[in-house]
Amino acid sequence: MLLIDKNAHEIPDEAGEALRLTPADNPQELAGQLAKVTRVEIEFPKFRDGRGFSQARLLRERLGFGGDIRAVGHFIPDQFRFLRDCGFTSFALPEGRTAAQFAAVLGGRQSGQLLRRHLERAREA
Amino acid sequence: MGLQVITANRLRDGVTIWFAGAAGWGERFADAAVYDDAALEAALAASAPGDEARALLDLRAIPVTEGPDGLKPAQYREEIRARGPSVRADLPAGRWRESGTALPPLPSADHEAPAAGIYRYDEYDRAFLRQRAAEFGDQVARRLSGELSEDEFKPLRLMNGLYHQLHAYMLRVAIPYGVLSSVQLRQLAYVARHFDRGYGHFTTRQNIQFNWQTLEDAPRAMAVLAEAGLHAIQTSGNCIRNVTTDEYAGAAADERVDPRLYAEIMRQWSTDHPEFTYLPRKFKIAITGAAHDRAAVRVHDVGIEAYPGADGAPRFRVFAGGGLGRTPVVAVMLREDLPQAELLRYLEAVLRVYNTLGRRDNIYKARIKITIREMKPAHFIQMVEDEYAALPAGYCVLEDELVEAIRARFPVPTFTRADGGALALALGEDAEFAAWVARNTQAHRHPAYVSVAIALKKPGAIPGDASAAEMELVAELADRYAGGEIRVSHVQNLVLAHVAKDDVKPLYDALKAGGLAVANLGLVSDLIACPGMDYCALATARSIPVAQRVAERLAAREAAIGTLHMNISGCINACGHHHVGHIGLLGVDRNGEEVYQITLGGAADEQAAIGQIIGPAVPTAKVPEAVEALVDAYMATREPGERFIDTYRRVGAKPFKEAVYAAD
Repeated sequence: MLLIDKNAHEIPDEAGEALRLTPADNPQELAGQLAKVTRVEIEFPKFRDGRGFSQARLLRERLGFGGDIRAVGHFIPDQFRFLRDCGFTSFALPEGRTAAQFAAVLGGRQSGQLLRRHLERAREA
Repeated sequence: MGLQVITANRLRDGVTIWFAGAAGWGERFADAAVYDDAALEAALAASAPGDEARALLDLRAIPVTEGPDGLKPAQYREEIRARGPSVRADLPAGRWRESGTALPPLPSADHEAPAAGIYRYDEYDRAFLRQRAAEFGDQVARRLSGELSEDEFKPLRLMNGLYHQLHAYMLRVAIPYGVLSSVQLRQLAYVARHFDRGYGHFTTRQNIQFNWQTLEDAPRAMAVLAEAGLHAIQTSGNCIRNVTTDEYAGAAADERVDPRLYAEIMRQWSTDHPEFTYLPRKFKIAITGAAHDRAAVRVHDVGIEAYPGADGAPRFRVFAGGGLGRTPVVAVMLREDLPQAELLRYLEAVLRVYNTLGRRDNIYKARIKITIREMKPAHFIQMVEDEYAALPAGYCVLEDELVEAIRARFPVPTFTRADGGALALALGEDAEFAAWVARNTQAHRHPAYVSVAIALKKPGAIPGDASAAEMELVAELADRYAGGEIRVSHVQNLVLAHVAKDDVKPLYDALKAGGLAVANLGLVSDLIACPGMDYCALATARSIPVAQRVAERLAAREAAIGTLHMNISGCINACGHHHVGHIGLLGVDRNGEEVYQITLGGAADEQAAIGQIIGPAVPTAKVPEAVEALVDAYMATREPGERFIDTYRRVGAKPFKEAVYAAD
């Protein structure tokens, strides 16, 4: 299994306690267990199933989880930016994908919603 | 099974192709080799040896039958696919353009968008759109090289507005809340002329569709659009789509809050939204700010009514779960009086509940209307409220500072012209002009101005289609008479929102010379129709010919008939919004024959209602006379001042049913 971080750099797999969420799981029901783990793995059975994006945001923003959130299963390089924006920090690449394919989609343009980018521009100006 | 031929579409340009055996693939049905059952399997294998299937879409065998002129596809859809649209004999199927030809300079190259009331895109926005076009070009290259599978590529292609339809790829370009500058309309005409077959189709979601695109050139067309601030981002796919609004926004006399500001804010909020781009299904938002709802907010996934609160600040009434398609529903109200600062926070809560709980096991049950129905509205509303209450404080607050920054990019048109009396004078002299003014103009908030609708519905024409030359004429007239601003309406017409009364007659004369002064707004021939089986891969019936025949049959009487909204859909997906037509027609396939179900009593405005089926479906050839029978029944029953829908609401369906089915 090839593992990358949010900059598409290959990283070693670290030991540690992990929880695993499937799309139908409600992260809020795991609130009590989060303190005991260093990583939550969010599973994408198919890349079109976008529930994992909400799960990651809930973990970060509602439950304040500061550990590693890892995408596992089927996702594609074109989702990399959105995954990072929702709080994912490590990525177990699907069979046949390379780190270079994920690195390639990070160049080119800025991340984030158009509205946020405009807001940041307005504040900088 | 009998005889069959092998067909596919070429991945790189979408063109329909036919397997000719040893001669390879050809572009004409006549090229196709014919196989019986025994030979078919070997022929299918020979048609795409090794990994050649990668360069094909939908490789399959289809049955053929003996027709008067030799063999033809057994299914009518395949016959249209073999020939081209039945309504455009001038556009045969097959390769229609060569890629990579040199093109003239872009209209945007020597025009700055001067238009008054339009959100001003700047270099940053154009750079973003160029990047998106380049990114799509990269995705296309990865698809053509085989790095992305069709399964993986399709959602990316759709999120960039590119479908594969019956004859070719179709590009749906977003026209945010239906507002265009003349430069943008010229740029669309340029794409129609140089990247398509000379025309475009304006849709009920205030967008434009080009029916004849190739995959390999679509990124180039998108790059052209980017130069005028246009794009196709999120016009398809399971994401938040183009936000629509009232085509008279900022001009209508009955407007309370200008909805374009909030439509633009929601556009920016939803563009590249990291959490809500892989939703269970597509998500459509509409907003209105007028007393009369011209944006159909109650039949959208989320509909918003903006109104001034007691302190004068805008408040928002939020509806959700409306929609048409195979399960037509009028929306439920979630919130009566949301303050401006909370608008996006609340939408985030609605979308998060939907993203989490919307069904993903069945595409036909995945829209939010089904989520709400299955959960029961009260429970859904409670979940949204809980989610909303739990959002971090300060998260996604729509601050005044941000609203004002976006407002500042909407220059306010100045209405400096006085009413010199030219309009009143011309009305007295020209009865045809007066009839057009009565139908196609709308009161403006400034007394010396009106809004003018340009109907793209000449009786017998294809509803919503406009040629490149017509687009260029409208752009020219917008520059001359309307501050360079054009609107696309959800009834598939164009609108010049701010025209000085003194300019109405010269505008009319120029439109008339261009064949665009059709005085039929809101009348029978101003009907809404989807593209139907002439273009669409999903359709089960041809809506355009039915629309043409109905319009031709009733056009001579329609001024006497008065306001009557007719909607025609070519399949159950209801892109022609037949459920909300005063008269709705739904084309269905009954054992290979196209027949039409008739519904009555639908409405999309503040009295939104889903039309009711009045009886058995009618054969296509009998649809015009059935509609005429409905109209006759109305004319015989109406009281002074009553529109068709008013009479229907007063007397019910009985006299109409009797009229249609009397002869049976």
